[in-house]
Amino acid sequence: MSAEKTYVEDVNREFYDFRYEEHAGYKVASGLTEEIIRQISAEKKDPDWMLEFRLKSLEVFNRLKMPLWGPSIEGLNMDNIVTYVRPDTERMHASWDEVPADIKDTFERLGIPKSERESLAGVGAQYDSELVYHNVKKEVAEQGVVYTDIESALRGPYGEVIREHFMKLVPPEDHKFAALHGAVWSGGSFVYVPPGVSVEIPLQSYFRLNAPGAGQFEHTLIIVDEGADLHFIEGCSAPKYNVANLHAGCVELFVGKNAKLRYSTIENWSKNMYNLNTKRARVEEGGKIEWVSGSFGSHVSYLYPMSILAGEGAQCEFTGVTFAGAGQNLDTGCKIVHSAPKTTSHVNTRSISKSGGVSTFRSAVVVGAKAAGSKSSVSCESLILDKESRSDTIPAMDVRTNLADVGHEAKIGRISDEAVYYLMSRGLSEEDAKALIVSGFAENVSRELPLEYAVEMNNLIRIEMKGAIG
Amino acid sequence: MKKIINKPIAETFGWLHAGGTAVDLPEEPEKIRYVLAPGETRTVVLEDSVPYTEIRAELSEGASLHFIEVKSPDGPEKTYADIHAVCGKDAHFCWTRLLFDGRETCDNCSAELAGEGSSFTADIGYRLSSDHIYDVNCEAIHTGKRTESRILSSGVLADEADKLLRGTIDFRNGCAGAVGSESEEVLLLSENIRNRSVPVILCDEEDVVGNHGASIGRPDEELLYYMESRGLSEEEAVELLAAAKLAAVVNRIPDEKIREEIREKYL
Amino acid sequence: MSEHFLKIKELSAGVDGKEILHKIDLAVNAGETHVIMGPNGAGKSSLAGVLMGNPNYEVTGGTLEFKGEALDALSVNERAKRGIFLSFQNPVEVPGISLENFARSTLESRTGEKIRIWNFRKEVQKALDALEMDRSYAERDLNVGFSGGEKKKAEVLQMLLLKPSLAILDETDSGLDVDAVRTVSRGVREFQKDKEAALIIITHNAAILSSLKVDKVHILVDGRIVTSGGPELIEKIGREGFSEFEEKKA
Repeated sequence: MSAEKTYVEDVNREFYDFRYEEHAGYKVASGLTEEIIRQISAEKKDPDWMLEFRLKSLEVFNRLKMPLWGPSIEGLNMDNIVTYVRPDTERMHASWDEVPADIKDTFERLGIPKSERESLAGVGAQYDSELVYHNVKKEVAEQGVVYTDIESALRGPYGEVIREHFMKLVPPEDHKFAALHGAVWSGGSFVYVPPGVSVEIPLQSYFRLNAPGAGQFEHTLIIVDEGADLHFIEGCSAPKYNVANLHAGCVELFVGKNAKLRYSTIENWSKNMYNLNTKRARVEEGGKIEWVSGSFGSHVSYLYPMSILAGEGAQCEFTGVTFAGAGQNLDTGCKIVHSAPKTTSHVNTRSISKSGGVSTFRSAVVVGAKAAGSKSSVSCESLILDKESRSDTIPAMDVRTNLADVGHEAKIGRISDEAVYYLMSRGLSEEDAKALIVSGFAENVSRELPLEYAVEMNNLIRIEMKGAIG
Repeated sequence: MKKIINKPIAETFGWLHAGGTAVDLPEEPEKIRYVLAPGETRTVVLEDSVPYTEIRAELSEGASLHFIEVKSPDGPEKTYADIHAVCGKDAHFCWTRLLFDGRETCDNCSAELAGEGSSFTADIGYRLSSDHIYDVNCEAIHTGKRTESRILSSGVLADEADKLLRGTIDFRNGCAGAVGSESEEVLLLSENIRNRSVPVILCDEEDVVGNHGASIGRPDEELLYYMESRGLSEEEAVELLAAAKLAAVVNRIPDEKIREEIREKYL
Repeated sequence: MSEHFLKIKELSAGVDGKEILHKIDLAVNAGETHVIMGPNGAGKSSLAGVLMGNPNYEVTGGTLEFKGEALDALSVNERAKRGIFLSFQNPVEVPGISLENFARSTLESRTGEKIRIWNFRKEVQKALDALEMDRSYAERDLNVGFSGGEKKKAEVLQMLLLKPSLAILDETDSGLDVDAVRTVSRGVREFQKDKEAALIIITHNAAILSSLKVDKVHILVDGRIVTSGGPELIEKIGREGFSEFEEKKA
């Protein structure tokens, strides 16, 4: 008992997202060999320690078992995954004009970097496994803010900083796909905000997975130093192919003393994507992490951003919406570990299931013995739109001190006929009425997003709701 | 041999180790079977007297079984109860579980609401001290139309007590019009307790309403101030609130004679 | 009884380092009823909180004496045991404990003696009848699901059962309809019959006072007592409001 009582306090312990029991009949992917890892590493011109890290991760990957408790990932045949796909282009571009026309066209259709010109402090775009574009506004760079692709940063002056932090929050032992990430990671961003610097406008990063049957394993490492403030926006998409795609990215966020980081994600991967992403933040004394998360795409998702409140008075706010439509099984939620006094967490999530979609809200709130004076409140609401769909709520609380207040609320139900009738009486079609109600239901997230993203999200909801009737 | 007998339908993250407590039990349980005829109403009180009890109940149309299970400090140190009831049309099954402490207690109680309009109430009250363990898994399985379930629990943890409550409302496809609710209140009185709660709602039917609410922590400060302003010391106020948690469960026993007997003996 | 039943001298107090009450002087004798009036935010409830010992308030200066004893060092329940009662402006819900059980427990704790359930029940019923509350309220969890008016009545009911020697009614009349105000003031009149007890009524409304004997009226504005006088002040406030006093301090 006593040994167990302290284990959650320790950041580097294994937080098993995935079950460790034997999965009969599943063989470790033959698609992934030491040969491939060495090849990736050589192409990346990795420092030696990184090659070693990759090989060690491969070993862990081979040892760990597949998860058993979440949605099925049997459609994901690791033998078919080409783990590393590099688009046929030169490496980084600092000027948008130099990006090859077809890739440029893809991103421009996604609104990048148009939005950069208008409202972003910096933009990074990743196409398959490589970052193809990276740019930071001059004023922001002058404040000492570093926003660059993580691979070149690894070989530059920030190499040591990255080594100190890389996969320390999410160790490869964490679960099978964290190990896979450690072995084959490629591309991603590195952000450093110096002490006391407030980045007034958001930084944005956009991921696009284009090659069929590919994997995307980008690594995002953000360090917000003492008293600094940053809003980082992440967008993801991919076109639809008939073969399964895999996304096993990793996001590690270090929020310093009295610092604040808002991390917003609108994820719209295509409906053949296995999104097995791991996101984690460690928050020091007086710091705050705010997650804003919209999950619309992918075939299967396992996504539970985790916040470790490590310093006194650290805070976490999590606001999320998940929309599972036809053919989707989205298992999303969050994990919060209170391991210091007077830490607080607020979770507010909504999930919508439609046309046979399965949505699961899964959460864990752990209040450790050292977290005296902490408070946590979780509220999750689910809307189920038809008889074919499914919606599960699986929250957990683990409280090890009496000096805490932990509250939880969950609700599940359907759209009220009366509300639809009311809106129809004002001239809306049934379809529009329902779309409007669902948009309102997801308002917890849309009001936290910058306007253009909120508009995009409501468009996504409208598209998902189309054809809902008859 | 140690084994976990009260596994829940859906599991949470493995690292929370909330899959259940492995207990050492006799191979064969003591078996009790209740078969209620249509319209029959029965109240049964059982004090935990053997380590391992298996209870099966079949409730015909309109039948009502109130099963009151009491763990007293005088009974066996470790007990395990496995309860399963199947409800026919308009039948009602109620499980009242009272724990006046006890070293190690594991319960599994599930009710299958098969008949239209059938209902299930679980009403759990516990007060644990020392390093005592309570591990309970409670499931309401809604298969019939317009079925209703309520899982209520209120308890007090002191010293190094460790409690794990898994409550599941499972709305199966076809249970249109079903309603389920879970509510939990835990009063924590010591720094060394551990409280785990996994309140699950599974929903494979559109036309249902499910709710869950939990409140876990020490007594509210404003409430203590109010009580102290009427002359109670902090200890007296906390004790009054703690006693109220179990008393609330006892007060909900409809049979007056049984209610008074339990009150007399344990409160 | 002795002079200086309640004696407040140059009392200053605040919350989180911000001073709300500034050098308050107030002396109340046994058998007296004092009224404290003032606009919203004047510090009336703070004064009640400080008298009761609400841990949110910090006394930063002056003295508080009750029956010759300094109150400062006494905890909330010790003050209650010495006979101070506060009728809360927002009574707190006490889940799991019925009105009757709660009142009995507090009385037992104060006297240290067991109370016979049946005798007490009759007393509770009598008080419920007097306050025109349904007898079923005795069995209900205290304040849980009570309307605003019922909560206020339940406070007066506890006052009648506990028989304190100093009762402070903090906005007990606010949010009550005309009939309820009449019922509550009947209860308060009952309490006033005890000539060894004193009463402080905090209000910004004259309605509850019309049928009560009032000895002194104090006007509290911005944490200071700006004027004290007899019952005639009530009428004046009823006509003119507090604007004159607010100007005075400016």
